Amino acid sequence: MFPTKPPANKFAQPLTFLLCFNCKTENSRPFKEGDYVFLEVEEKCPKCGSNKMLVTGIYVKEKQEKKKEV
Amino acid sequence: MSYMLRDLEKKLNKLKMIDEDVKAKTIESLQRYAEEGRDVKSELEKLLDSFIISPESMDPYGIVWKLEHIVNTWEDRFEEDVMKLCSKADNMKVKTLTNLVEVARGIHYIYRVVRHYYLLGKKTSNIYLILQMQMLMPQIMEIAEAYHYASYAFSQGQPIGDGIGVLAVAKLAYGKEKKTYEIAKDTIVQEMDFEGRKLIIVRAVGPGGTVGRPGEGVKKVVEAEGDKVKLIITIDAGLKLEGEDSGKVIEGVGVAIGGTGVDKYKIEEIAKNKGIPLYAIVIYESIVEAITPMRESIAKSVDKILEKVKQTILEKVDKDYTVIVAGIGNSVGIGVT
Repeated sequence: MFPTKPPANKFAQPLTFLLCFNCKTENSRPFKEGDYVFLEVEEKCPKCGSNKMLVTGIYVKEKQEKKKEV
Repeated sequence: MSYMLRDLEKKLNKLKMIDEDVKAKTIESLQRYAEEGRDVKSELEKLLDSFIISPESMDPYGIVWKLEHIVNTWEDRFEEDVMKLCSKADNMKVKTLTNLVEVARGIHYIYRVVRHYYLLGKKTSNIYLILQMQMLMPQIMEIAEAYHYASYAFSQGQPIGDGIGVLAVAKLAYGKEKKTYEIAKDTIVQEMDFEGRKLIIVRAVGPGGTVGRPGEGVKKVVEAEGDKVKLIITIDAGLKLEGEDSGKVIEGVGVAIGGTGVDKYKIEEIAKNKGIPLYAIVIYESIVEAITPMRESIAKSVDKILEKVKQTILEKVDKDYTVIVAGIGNSVGIGVT
């Protein structure tokens, strides 16, 4: 009945996608302030343990929905 | 009519809450970079209520240059005011904060206009005014929610859907040997070789939030290159119709660029004078997707865009000639490669 303040976390947050320079695996993690596309970061690759990765994308992952053809 | 008024009042209250939430978010972001004891709230109020007056169009000759002058003065002053308020922020952060304040201005304006028509309709008991307003409210609310979401994106520097043009040219340039330099305010040029052709990329400098001055950039590049430019390709986000897929890449002719029309005019004028074909690549997205954090379907269209750009250049431009590819859009969250 009475409009309430919209919850702050109702918007989907984007993920940051990182490419390891060493093993070329793509990893992802939640976006954090300071990330931007083509930023080189010193974060550990979960696969090979290398310390250098490149941010290749920052976007909101979409759910796979079956669409009705109109 | 009382039912329509009640319904409109409910939506107006929701708009007011969104306006206040965006304002609070903006104040919080500006406060982080302002000096201690600075009255951020009252200075933000001044910026939210500021205005720009369009040039007189009774005599339309030369209006583009008058509009350019007024818009440039406005942009420079607005950015200066934000810079003075947030003295601890670096240049890139100031640009993103300027975009955030613009989002706050946008939602504040929507709220003021809807409130105006609600109160006017109520005061004059004008059912037609209220009815028209009520019919438009679903679309207005959708845009208001998009502005709300956008305020979170800009406060954290996340790339938005409108930046797809910039992202595409950034990926085109990534890993290549190139010469990068500034050509106009917030606009850079990257020169490189592509299969024997000279490829010149024009884009807004990132990762701060700015659209740059691509019209000015393309004009200066064409003037410098002379008759060697054989093609200009512009890449931008475009509004899709309901039922169409987001991220669909389509090709056409002309200059794919939004804004006031000044940049579009400059590119069209120089291309016409030099006889340079204008090709456009547009990526379909909704108005909501354009100003909110980039979606997966739009981000993944970059490879398709690059495939089309490369194919066009190989087909239409001979070796030893020049092609200009302008990535149009807001560069927030997209770095320089």
